[in-house]
Amino acid sequence: MIIIGEKINGTRKQVAKAIQERDETFIRELAIKQSEAGAHYLDINAGTPPDREPADMVWLIQTVHSVTNVNLCLDSTNPEALKAGIQQLKDKPIMLNSLSGEKNRINGVLPLACEHNTELIVLALDDKGIPNTGEERLAIIRSLVEMTRNGGLPDRNLYIDPLITTIATDTQSGPKAFDTMRKIKDEFPDVHLTAGLSNISFGMPSRPLINRAFAALAIAAGLDSAIINPEDKELRGMVKAVEMVLGMDKHCLNYIRAHRSGQI
Amino acid sequence: MKELIDAIVAMDEEKAIALTDHMIDDNIDPMKILDAYRDAMAEVGRRFEEGKFFIPELILSGEMLNAASEKIKPLLTAANKSSKKKGKVIIGTVAGDIHDIGKDIVTLMLDINGYEVLDLGIDVPVAKFVEAAKDFNPQVIGMSGFLTMAYDPMKNTVAALVEAGVREEIKIMIGGGQMDNQIRDYVGADAFGKDAIEAVKLCDQWIK
Repeated sequence: MIIIGEKINGTRKQVAKAIQERDETFIRELAIKQSEAGAHYLDINAGTPPDREPADMVWLIQTVHSVTNVNLCLDSTNPEALKAGIQQLKDKPIMLNSLSGEKNRINGVLPLACEHNTELIVLALDDKGIPNTGEERLAIIRSLVEMTRNGGLPDRNLYIDPLITTIATDTQSGPKAFDTMRKIKDEFPDVHLTAGLSNISFGMPSRPLINRAFAALAIAAGLDSAIINPEDKELRGMVKAVEMVLGMDKHCLNYIRAHRSGQI
Repeated sequence: MKELIDAIVAMDEEKAIALTDHMIDDNIDPMKILDAYRDAMAEVGRRFEEGKFFIPELILSGEMLNAASEKIKPLLTAANKSSKKKGKVIIGTVAGDIHDIGKDIVTLMLDINGYEVLDLGIDVPVAKFVEAAKDFNPQVIGMSGFLTMAYDPMKNTVAALVEAGVREEIKIMIGGGQMDNQIRDYVGADAFGKDAIEAVKLCDQWIK
């Protein structure tokens, strides 16, 4: 499971404040804790207005890299901010968050991903919003994969996010998500599947329990990456256990090691 | 009536339907039955605000009210019908933002609380808000946005409403992830609400 740590995100109030005040200690703490908890990538989202976003993105990257060498996932719809970030990360693996069927992203994000051969999160939505059915979402994914292929980006660089909606407003959100995941994997076996796991439980009580149950079933449906809080120990344990139970953990060593190191 | 209110608040859909049918058969004033549903909805809303009830319960109680309204509508006199809606509200998620969960819940809650709601959907261009404001003649416009990049489209929408000369007669409320009173001032709205229940309260205050 490729974990993308979600916490350095300017749409969270405390992070927005830290960015405004250039509070390095706060950002460093978020970076250290998430990478120690086993995040493979840290999402970096400044969430600030377009004119100052490139500078904020650069500051975040420098601050994070002053304490950890972890890979980064640059999260913005603003091509200038992404460019500024890519400049900072020259020789490191880069993930971009994200491409979708929206025109501004096709024009702004796709060329950058192809040019720099980045990993790329791909969202199943377009200018009309998030489609209701799995089939419509698949149609968007199909046209986007055609574009990334034409741009020379291998399928294995793609992290397709079928977009999880909350169970609170649609009790069929889970089955719909699993169905879409299976269909994407059938058609594009080399792509990764990722998701913001906690979306499933928005508006519900005891959310962590729902997130864990969803994670287990989603992994069975092909999910191999997730945008989560890596410090959630119970969720981490669930992921390791599920991977093992599904026969994905050779000699159960990942699970045993995680147990021994106190990670789960 | 208390039994009906209790059944709705307890999320006992079958019992609520049975009681409602029974009351209709007994020729009880249909407006009284609807009042009971509204009282129940108010209680559900109160418990939601306290964190004791959750979104699925808001939705289920809304469905119960809608089902009852459908049955009761044909029984209402013309006078009752015309006094039915409290006012008109336009709702939409602003340009550049596609988040719809919160907006849909606000739309639902306003609807079941007696407002005529025009939902413009997500990623709504400034011009569409203005056009709808002129055609639909609402007392209130609610703008939703989850992202920080929703601030400027909100500000632009308010400015365009001023430009079009309709701002004075319309109250504007905003809501969504990052919104607070500081953002309300920045975009030039009249109020900020933290959830659907507050949206209803704001409209109730403004439209009396």
